[in-house]
Amino acid sequence: MSNKTKKSTGGNGGGLKQGRQQSHDSQDYSSFKTVLYYCMLIVFLPVLTFFVLKGFVLDRFLDISEVKVNIAAAVGAVVSLHIALALYIYRAYFGASGSKASKAD
Amino acid sequence: MSTEVTSTNPIYGPFFGVMGAASAIIFSALGAAYGTAKSGTGIAAMSVMRPELIMKSIIPVVMAGIIAIYGLVVAVLIAGALEEPSKYPLYRGFIHLGAGLAVGFSGLAAGFAIGIVGDAGVRGTAQQPRLFVGMILILIFAEVLGLYGLIVAIYLYTK
Repeated sequence: MSNKTKKSTGGNGGGLKQGRQQSHDSQDYSSFKTVLYYCMLIVFLPVLTFFVLKGFVLDRFLDISEVKVNIAAAVGAVVSLHIALALYIYRAYFGASGSKASKAD
Repeated sequence: MSTEVTSTNPIYGPFFGVMGAASAIIFSALGAAYGTAKSGTGIAAMSVMRPELIMKSIIPVVMAGIIAIYGLVVAVLIAGALEEPSKYPLYRGFIHLGAGLAVGFSGLAAGFAIGIVGDAGVRGTAQQPRLFVGMILILIFAEVLGLYGLIVAIYLYTK
């Protein structure tokens, strides 16, 4: 009787441990996905903005000088970079507090 | 092709512009690499005990990477304006060298600051989570040092 109870509790504990391991894995995977997404955004968005803005502004307004086009493209790239960084910090600050609360149990 | 080499357009005029483009990216990348490595050791030490804080603690590494993007922007701008000596006065070479050095050394200083602040801030955040807001503020002030260099470099570039 006691042996049976022990066995059943042991099996239950193993299942719980496995479930916790799985939840840890899925949590790690989701946080990795988020970090990867924002890092790609921060790395590629300014480069893309620079060249798209340069080509687009050159095509649209051919009358302004090339120096001004370069300046506009550079300023646009830096502004887009800071917008992406602000999004990441916002997500890290407010998203991480939610995941911490779920982890507390 | 007529190579008009005068005293205002000497053959070594573009040398200064090339050195400006190179120093913009070299020194910015040096600062960004130091910032990444120094705050990376802090993250590695902290994540052993508090792995759920990794997303918050990546922020210094991202900010150090942004320093390198400042240098990249200025280096691309300068490299796009380089010409052969007959169309590139020595004055423009000096302007471009100044722009490259401005963003390069500002990036180096900002990268050092981000590395040291990121290391200590990430280790401290693991023990007292309320330090996070302070760490972000200090990191932003360190980041702005590099941005000042970028502003001066772009202003020089328009001369």
